[in-house]
Amino acid sequence: MEYLATILILVGINVMLAASFNLIIGKAGLASIAHPIFYALGAYTSGLLAIHTGLNAVAATLAGGAVAALFSLMMSLPSLRVAGDYLMITSIGFQLGLLQVIKNLEFTGSQGGLSNIPTPVSGPERAFVFCVIALAAAAVTLAAIRWIVRGPYGRAINAMRDDELAFQALGRNATRIKIVIFAIGCGIAGIAGGLYAFYFQYVSPEQFEILASGTMLTMVVVGGMGSTWGPVVGALILVALPQAITFLNLPPSFMAPVQGMIFTLLVILFLFLRPQGLVPPEPPAPLAHRPADREGKGAR
Amino acid sequence: MSAVLELRGVCKRFGGIVVADDVALDLDRGQILGLIGPNGAGKTSLFNLISGVVPLDAGEIRIEGRNLAGRKLHERARMGVARTWQNMRLFQTMTVLENMVVAPREYAGESIARLVFAPGAVRRAVAESCDKALAILDRMHLAHLADSPVTDLPFGQQKLVGLARALMNDGPCLLLDEPMAGVEGQAYDTMKEIVRQEAAAGRAVCVVEHNISFIKDLCTSAVFMSFGRILERGSVAELLASRTLAELYFGA
Amino acid sequence: MLDTGVLAQILWTGLATSSYMVLFTVAFALVLKVVKLWNFAQAGMMAIAFYAMHAALARFGWPTPAAVAFGFAVTLAATLALEVWGLRVLRARGSSGLFFFIFTLVCSEFAAFALTLVFGTEPVPLFPQILSPTRIVAGIAVSDWDLMAVSVTLALCAALALWLRLSRDGQFMVAVSDNAALAELYGINARRAYLAAFAIATVFVCAGMYVYGSRTAVIPTAPLNLMVFAVVATLLGGMGNVFGAAGAAVVLSLLQSYSVLVIPSQWQNLLLYGFLFVTILFFPRGVPLDRLRAIFRRAQA
Repeated sequence: MEYLATILILVGINVMLAASFNLIIGKAGLASIAHPIFYALGAYTSGLLAIHTGLNAVAATLAGGAVAALFSLMMSLPSLRVAGDYLMITSIGFQLGLLQVIKNLEFTGSQGGLSNIPTPVSGPERAFVFCVIALAAAAVTLAAIRWIVRGPYGRAINAMRDDELAFQALGRNATRIKIVIFAIGCGIAGIAGGLYAFYFQYVSPEQFEILASGTMLTMVVVGGMGSTWGPVVGALILVALPQAITFLNLPPSFMAPVQGMIFTLLVILFLFLRPQGLVPPEPPAPLAHRPADREGKGAR
Repeated sequence: MSAVLELRGVCKRFGGIVVADDVALDLDRGQILGLIGPNGAGKTSLFNLISGVVPLDAGEIRIEGRNLAGRKLHERARMGVARTWQNMRLFQTMTVLENMVVAPREYAGESIARLVFAPGAVRRAVAESCDKALAILDRMHLAHLADSPVTDLPFGQQKLVGLARALMNDGPCLLLDEPMAGVEGQAYDTMKEIVRQEAAAGRAVCVVEHNISFIKDLCTSAVFMSFGRILERGSVAELLASRTLAELYFGA
Repeated sequence: MLDTGVLAQILWTGLATSSYMVLFTVAFALVLKVVKLWNFAQAGMMAIAFYAMHAALARFGWPTPAAVAFGFAVTLAATLALEVWGLRVLRARGSSGLFFFIFTLVCSEFAAFALTLVFGTEPVPLFPQILSPTRIVAGIAVSDWDLMAVSVTLALCAALALWLRLSRDGQFMVAVSDNAALAELYGINARRAYLAAFAIATVFVCAGMYVYGSRTAVIPTAPLNLMVFAVVATLLGGMGNVFGAAGAAVVLSLLQSYSVLVIPSQWQNLLLYGFLFVTILFFPRGVPLDRLRAIFRRAQA
């Protein structure tokens, strides 16, 4: 039962990661591979706060999200000011650079990672409680993102993706929209990190390497960029596949690279054969308006 | 009373090519200024300089007396510079109405904070924009197409939608980049009528066009550009009568 | 007090170490200039080049020239496959920059995983013996590796410069990089220029991995980190300026070498990311050397 609960918790966390990453690259069209590092920032922040200040888990997790969102500004503000693909490059530097910092700071436990994170819930129902929390958080994330994307803000984002220049020439501040979306997406990843830290009670830098971006990309590209349910499908695949791979009975040193190969291969295949992913994007809510005149006079 | 749009000493070059050479221009309320000249004369570049797509090398552009220097694209639109594009640039994945609803100077749905804390106000503002958009579409006899994806429309109607979208900006200045290109029949007449209405309502309109009959019919005055310079300005009749211009435009 | 001998030694060793960075940077900057692509698949190319050469040397026991040729052939095949079956399709579809980014990066990641599967995560150098014979010249220790690294780099860069300037295909490549559409109007084949750019990049990548791998043990994920250096140097040198990027690579490398005097070695890598940030903040279009020179001249007057 605990095994099943852990799987579900991972699904919940992955849904949050995939949905937020999807918001950034699928909806806003921003090229960034730094999602693992914001996940890490949330995990480390909440873990460190819990260990050193005894802050309660909810506040610490939210703080993790806030820290991730703040760091996202450090990345987006300078690079989006400049036109072009700078966010892409900054994201690689950010991902690799911040990870180096984490790996070298004693404060964060350096290479060995951060362990003994106090858990807010103990006892036999621990796994069950966390399961409920993780799935609820995932549901809230999906609902919030769907609400943003289906309303007038979502309409603005779609227009921005369709033709950014025309969009700006109408008076819309595309840069601010991108910065805000990026902060929201990274903040959600940070909160997911907090959830991870408090359940597993151990955070190591290895799980946030740049190769982790491959798994996140898999969830988004295969699930369906820009759709609401795509990330859920992606998250399910991501958790189910490794389980399926264990049935191949490979030696442990082969498992990680085989898994990585399958994920990246899936991304490549989908990019070429089915770029819209498994779940196509839904259109925003139709505009409610007064009935238009029937058959305009003289229009041909 | 100063002009709505003033250009003084505007210069711009791209590498070795001069697209604007000491351009001076005044655009007044109610005026429909025709901007004519051969391809590559710098007409669209001038629009790009005014709307802020590219920065000036030198000179000044003012709208209602306010200097546009250092202002980004979206700021200029909010200050009242509305424009259309040669290749329309409609939002392909959206309907006609959706294209227009994101187009007013202030768009309530642009701020997440307002969406979260004042959703009712946002809803009302969007509804008002819808009404305004439908009113514009009514004038063009296109209201029944409000919920059609723009990609479903024939070319002429798409161009009208492009104009309609620009009209959502109620600012004083309207820049139209070859609005008539490829347009004929009913759509042509509708467009001419709309432009006339806008000028009559007090807008300052500048039109880049190659269609001489449109210029003759509609424009109150015109300006001839070649290689980034304004060679002649005056009434349309004067410009069209000029032999030098005829040579430059149609000749060798 | 800092000994001039120490400074001179760091200068020489730093220059020698900058050699492979220059090679990786030139490859990256050339593809960016000609193909207008941020080739994040270069990390994959680098990894394939290294492990192909390593396999030929360590597993098949081939002599060095044959191993290098093998490495080049394998990498070239992979790179051309990437361009013809991957990038061309995306280009024909009008895919956005995001797709190119994801595709090239995921290709590098796939290569890293595949190579981890075959070769494991143990660091391996190209040759069993990393230490190279050293002699003292004017008080500075100069190793055989240093001389090989510097001469290979200088030779390849000179050859590229001459080829771009003097050969017809080189000039066509420059024309395509300036304005591909215009070049096509003049009958220059942009596709051929792209293939040529990738082929040249492969040469530089293989040379770079040979130089790097004959001195350091490599793991499959190492090239991803090395590539960041090439990206920063390309940005600093001004995108479109291949030899400016090479110069920036030398400067960055020397700065990293000298930084060991002031900061602990584990933070050296971080310096690079700090540079990336400074570059994006202040020099997004590259360091404007001509503007700096003008300011300098004005200050002197």
